Amino acid sequence: MIKRATLIWMFLATAAGIGLFVLKYKVKSMEGQLAAIHGKTLENLEAVHVLKAEWSYLNQPARLEDLGRRLLNLEPVKATQTIDIEDIPFRPVGASNGAARNSSLTNVRPPAADQVPPLFAKIRRKQ
Amino acid sequence: MISRQPLFPKQRRREPPVPARVETGRSRLLITGALFSAAFLVVTGRLIGVTMFVEKSQPQYSRTVGKAALKTGRANIVDRNGNLLATSLKTASLFANPRVMLDAREAVNKLAAVLPDLNSRLTYEKLTQDRSFIWLRRHLTPRQKYEVNKLGIPGLDFRDEERRVYPSAALASHILGHTDIDNRGLAGVERHFNQKLRESRTPLKLSIDIRVQHAMRKELAAAVREFRGIGAAGIVMDIRNGEVISIVSLPDFDPNRPSNIQPDTRFNRATLGVYEMGSTFKIFTTAMALDTGRISMRDGYDATHPIRIARFVIRDYHAKRRWLSVPEIFMYSSNIGSAKMALDVGIAGQRAFLQKVGILHPSPVEISEVGAPLIPPRWRKINAITISYGHGLSISPMQLVAGVGSMINGGIYHAPTFLKKPSGSKSIGRRVISAKTSDQIKRLFRLVVTKGTGSKAAADGYLVGGKTGTSEKVVGRHYKKKALISSFIGAFPMNAPRYVVFAMIDEPSGTKKTFSYATGGWVAAPVVGKVIARIGPLLGVRAIDEKAPEIVREMAIDIVTKKEGKRRLASF
Repeated sequence: MIKRATLIWMFLATAAGIGLFVLKYKVKSMEGQLAAIHGKTLENLEAVHVLKAEWSYLNQPARLEDLGRRLLNLEPVKATQTIDIEDIPFRPVGASNGAARNSSLTNVRPPAADQVPPLFAKIRRKQ
Repeated sequence: MISRQPLFPKQRRREPPVPARVETGRSRLLITGALFSAAFLVVTGRLIGVTMFVEKSQPQYSRTVGKAALKTGRANIVDRNGNLLATSLKTASLFANPRVMLDAREAVNKLAAVLPDLNSRLTYEKLTQDRSFIWLRRHLTPRQKYEVNKLGIPGLDFRDEERRVYPSAALASHILGHTDIDNRGLAGVERHFNQKLRESRTPLKLSIDIRVQHAMRKELAAAVREFRGIGAAGIVMDIRNGEVISIVSLPDFDPNRPSNIQPDTRFNRATLGVYEMGSTFKIFTTAMALDTGRISMRDGYDATHPIRIARFVIRDYHAKRRWLSVPEIFMYSSNIGSAKMALDVGIAGQRAFLQKVGILHPSPVEISEVGAPLIPPRWRKINAITISYGHGLSISPMQLVAGVGSMINGGIYHAPTFLKKPSGSKSIGRRVISAKTSDQIKRLFRLVVTKGTGSKAAADGYLVGGKTGTSEKVVGRHYKKKALISSFIGAFPMNAPRYVVFAMIDEPSGTKKTFSYATGGWVAAPVVGKVIARIGPLLGVRAIDEKAPEIVREMAIDIVTKKEGKRRLASF
């Protein structure tokens, strides 16, 4: 006759075995999924790699310059087109009606001629 | 009577005496048992230890699948802003196994439709050989691969390979170099850093800025076309740390097609070519003389008569035939004045000075194509004289740029480099001239552009300064007349110099517009001016009003026009 304890132990051993079996297959299938995801990631990385090469091919300065000239009518920036941030005037105080009240950007007007700082004025006169 | 007897009386049978043999057996059993239980205890302890605690010596049995990372055979090369300059792309190469091919004729016909430039006869011969592996075409495009696959010819297969791709084509060809079909670096940084690029995954960051590179290449190419030169070189260097922002040599090549490179386009005029630089050497001569304290800006030399030494006569190109002060000697580029200046310092002093500013050693830049300077074997008086105005000593443009950088950046020599230095790191360098001398050279640089031979290098707003240089080319043992090396070395902004810009045209011919002059001031100076005007905004250099009083004061120079005579303050 089999003792009760033996029965319990046998049951536990079987359960552990089945549990391990299930767990192992679960891990294996998840590993498969992971490998698939990795494969996909690698594929995408490769695509990104190729796209980056293409991006820098399309961004060759010579090509951009040509496109800018032909399609956008752009020229390289000249020194006279740059200005220091300090030289950009603040909105004249009290001079305008409503500009002080309304702060939306659409309402900003260029400063009056006597309110532009010297360097900016010089450039304006040239034009 | 009930006798008090135990319920189960201990039998007190008289036991027979235990034989000695059994006694021995028992004690042996006991010892064995103890040993076994000890062994089991150890096993149990070890089991607990192994399962519950992780030891360092333990090998890792559990597999952890790492991050998916793209493995390429060679690391990328990027410019200072991270733009891709060189990368390795996966390509498919087509090979055939003729032994399993059914119909070679049909296969060739089909392939010819997809790959039009395939040599049909040669391919047919290949496919009828008794071999099991033959390359048909390496590095197919994805579209070609797809189309070949669609043909469904048995016996054709692909092998994944890698190919080095340079998206910017010829733009930085000489500095990048190129690789062979097996991706080994053959020139440029590809060769110098071959090992590093193969082992590392992190991209190699160069100090080059492709926008500046493009501006320089374009302007140089325009000048070569205009003056029908045979080549050109251009360099932009950050003089605060020696980073080379742009380096161009024309003609150049497309590193994507290493087999099609013409031999003469390989030659790197900026680092490998050594040339007699001409008057740009007067920068060193003047700085040397001023730095020794032997002369000041108010002193000068008599340049009335040419110098006769041995069988040579040293003349001035822009002769004034009078006494000239130091600024005038620089401004009018007087050979006589420079020669006398050098003799004042002495032969040993001149040699030591040029040694200090890196003229007597090959440039330390990180490519293999670096030319060694041609130094006279014996440094005599005549050598000292000719070297003072840049003849009789040939150096590469890279050496000149690095040396001149140290003259105007406050007097610190920084070794030139093609690698971007980590941001925030400070280049130490070594002092070669005093800050005071450097300040004087700065003013002289500006003077050449405002009043001297370099006026065509002016770029409005960027306060350009510089020095022209023109020399006849040495061919064999003689100077070749009419074959010039015309150069200009400029810097901007002169009130706080940040970049040196150098341009050199090889064998230019004058045009009607330049009154058939082909000198540095006419040919190379405009290139430098145009390049500076283009790259100034790109490099974030603030445009300034060149006429502002504080700038004029900063660049002012006291020019003495007569010996011991009256001075006039030049306000430029």
